[in-house]
Amino acid sequence: MNPDEVKIVRPEGLLDGVKASQVRRDISECLEAGARIVLLDLKDVTFIDSSGLGALVSALKTVRAADAKMFICSISDQVKILFELTSMNRVFKVYADREEFERNVLSSP
Amino acid sequence: MEDLSKSPQSQHASLRVPTDLNALVRVLEWFDRLESPAVPQRIWLQCKTALAEGFTNAVRHAHRDRGDDDLPIEVEFEQTPTYLELRILDSGPPFDLEGKLNNLPTSSDLHATGGRGLKLMQCIADRLSYKRLDDKRNCLSILKYYESEP
Repeated sequence: MNPDEVKIVRPEGLLDGVKASQVRRDISECLEAGARIVLLDLKDVTFIDSSGLGALVSALKTVRAADAKMFICSISDQVKILFELTSMNRVFKVYADREEFERNVLSSP
Repeated sequence: MEDLSKSPQSQHASLRVPTDLNALVRVLEWFDRLESPAVPQRIWLQCKTALAEGFTNAVRHAHRDRGDDDLPIEVEFEQTPTYLELRILDSGPPFDLEGKLNNLPTSSDLHATGGRGLKLMQCIADRLSYKRLDDKRNCLSILKYYESEP
């Protein structure tokens, strides 16, 4: 995998509708810059509400429409609970941390 | 002697914020400060998630088109040894929560980009209720039982 084709987006703080829409725009820019894989690293995100979640689903649709892939890693306990309650574990591929993402996605032959 | 101030089994608090989505940060920080070691963290985080939905719903729907009226939204919290209750008070027109909840689609679209708020609150709360108060405000109540941490 060419490292230029992997882009990491790492938002911070509270991801409500407004902030998650910014994340969606950042992800679109990554795609325009030629990313084939986008990792959304949520290490510094403390909280996501349902509007923020909606914007992340929308980002995933944009990624798929561009024939690219999106992964998520390092979610907080609150985000874990939100994803469970909304069955997002069936929508997003979530890795425990960046290391697990790299091991599973980037080093595949 | 047990230090109850550090591990409260019962407490209540309230907060008044403007009709502004940006106030969500303040609401969540206020709730964080009330966190009690007696309550399992999972329960706490579920309530925090439901609180965010209740508050943003009040801003977006109850006080829709009334952003200029300077209407406050009040949030109340009550903890007893058996349950947590969050109440969100708005001054909007009454709303048919029951009807809305009964008409939620049963199988939700996993890839929907909105419309998860009410369902989330319903999933999290052991009792979700909404009533019109005598002072013409509405009160959304989210009640969640818990078992005290040893």
